Amino acid sequence: MPQRDVQSVKTDYSVSSSQIVQEYLNDKDGADQKYLASDGDSKILEVTGTVKSITEDFNGRKVVLLKGEDDPAGVSASFTPDTESGLDGVGVGDKITLKGVIRSGASYDDDLGFYLNVILEKTAVIGR
Amino acid sequence: MKKSILLSIAAALFISAASFGQSSSKLVSTKTQIKFFSSTPAEDIEAYNTASVSTIDKSSGEVVFSVPMQGFEFDKRLMQRHFNNDKFLDTKAFPEAKLKAKITNIDEVDFSKDGSYKATVKGNLTIKGETNAITESGTVTVKGNVVRVESKFNVTLADYGIVFKKGKPASNIAEAVEVTVQAEYQ
Repeated sequence: MPQRDVQSVKTDYSVSSSQIVQEYLNDKDGADQKYLASDGDSKILEVTGTVKSITEDFNGRKVVLLKGEDDPAGVSASFTPDTESGLDGVGVGDKITLKGVIRSGASYDDDLGFYLNVILEKTAVIGR
Repeated sequence: MKKSILLSIAAALFISAASFGQSSSKLVSTKTQIKFFSSTPAEDIEAYNTASVSTIDKSSGEVVFSVPMQGFEFDKRLMQRHFNNDKFLDTKAFPEAKLKAKITNIDEVDFSKDGSYKATVKGNLTIKGETNAITESGTVTVKGNVVRVESKFNVTLADYGIVFKKGKPASNIAEAVEVTVQAEYQ
């Protein structure tokens, strides 16, 4: 069975980064029930928001954080070698729409001492 | 007038001192990789997670990792599905794993001097809602402003309520899996 091709799967939910963060902060268990699948093939989201930062993960893959000005957390989205070129010309402050698979939600982590972001993976830019 | 200016300068100094104090003792990492490796005569299975977040407190030695369990990526999709399902890690019910521990010999790590330091990590590992005390060793490497941490240890699945009695999982998944944690802090 080949890897799931996230970009060719139909989008389940279209939200803003602020909306999904708020949904998780209001009711994390409810949001996990709604967005996570028990076999790991979780919901495909289209998330619109403002680029707060563009960084790299441990393996040098691009990671985009979408975060509203007044939001305590954002949506952290990692790209693949196939999708990274879609970020060419995208900068901090731009409003863009991303598509990816959700891996985990936002919450305040008492041990870390800050808010965890919603995590999207296998992300691509689909609107700008 | 003069008094209020002085007050606001004092407040600004206090606020910057407070935020400086916080950032100087606590290092944050989003550049992490956690490898899961299981070896049996039947097959070797490995998966990688690069979505974890970690902190290290340079003065207290407290180290924390929050691991989004659905972020483990396997070569084979079927393997990934098994890993996530309710008989294995049940990641829908338990989306995050957590390490909350202390580097007990943090005094021996000189964060102002380049070098590689052996570290003993002691604390609690929570997977699938089960918490176990662990003591493991690792390495802290300081190079300029970058701090790297690496640790390799075994996790006995039964300690976290994961037991396969028969069938393919029982023969193809090791009872103890090797976990390699790497993180880069700045």
